[in-house]
Amino acid sequence: MDTKLFTERSIWTMLHGIVLGGGALLGLSAALFAVGTMHGPDSVDATAQRQGRNVGWLTAFVAVALWLTVLVGTYVSFPPYRATPPEGLTDLARYPRSLLQSNPGTVWLHSFAMEIKEHVPWIAAMLATAVAFVGVRYHSRLLNDASLRRMAMMLLTICFVLVSFVSLLGVFINKVAPLE
Amino acid sequence: MATTENDRDVTNGAALAAFLAAGIGAFAMGLVVILNEVGLFAVPALYAPAGGVSGRTTLAAVIWLVGWAVLHHRWKRRRVEPRRVHAVTLALILLGVLLTFPPVWGLL
Repeated sequence: MDTKLFTERSIWTMLHGIVLGGGALLGLSAALFAVGTMHGPDSVDATAQRQGRNVGWLTAFVAVALWLTVLVGTYVSFPPYRATPPEGLTDLARYPRSLLQSNPGTVWLHSFAMEIKEHVPWIAAMLATAVAFVGVRYHSRLLNDASLRRMAMMLLTICFVLVSFVSLLGVFINKVAPLE
Repeated sequence: MATTENDRDVTNGAALAAFLAAGIGAFAMGLVVILNEVGLFAVPALYAPAGGVSGRTTLAAVIWLVGWAVLHHRWKRRRVEPRRVHAVTLALILLGVLLTFPPVWGLL
C-alpha cells in the first residue's frame, strides 16, 4: 500500500507554521533578550561593536523569517484553504474553510481566527523590519541609545505578542481543519 | 552629501523614520481592512486563488514602503525628537491592529 506520510500541502503548512513561523518566534525571543539585556554605557570597544552587529543580524533574521512566513501563508497555504468545493460534495476534508463553516461550533475559526491570520502577521513583519533596519544600520547604537532601545523593545514585544497569538490561532485551525 | 558613520552617531532620523513608517503601515493595513469590511473600498485581488487578501495586504505594504521612503528622505540626516514619534507610532500600531480584529468590524 502506497501511503504518504505527508502530502505536499501539509509540508507547506509545516514549513509555514513550524519552520518559518517557529523560527521567527525563536528569533524574536532571542532578540528581545539581547536588546533588553546587552545595553551598557555608551561604548565603542570591539565587544560592544560585535554585540551590536550580532543583534543587528539577529533582528534581520527575524524580519526575513517573518516575511517568508507571511508570503508562504498568503500565497501558498491560503489558496487551498479557501478553495470552493464542488457542488454537492459531502466530504469537506480537503476544503478547510468550508469544513469550518459547515459546523456552527467551528465557524469562529474562520470568521475570527483566519480573518486575523490574514492581516495581522503582515503588521508584525513591518514592525520586525523596522527594528532590523535600525539594528543593521546603527549596530551598537541600538543597544546604547536609550530611546532607540526602548522603541525597539516595544516593537519587538508587540511583534512577539502578535506572532504568538496568530500562531496559536493557526494551531487551532490546523487541529480542526488541516490542509491534507 | 553622503551620510557618514559620524553622522549616524548623532542623527536618529533614519531610525525614527523606520519606526514611524511601521506605524503607518500597521494603520494602513487596519484602514484598508475596515474600509473593505464596511463596503466602502474593496481592493481587487492581485492573485485570484488567494482572493482579496492579496490586494489588501499589497496595498498596505506599498503605503508602508512609500511612507518609509518619504520619511527616510526627509529625516535621514536629522536629529528628531523621539518622544512624540514614539507615541504616534504606538498609537498607529494599536489602531491598525484593532481595525483588523473582526469583533471591531461589528461595532461599525
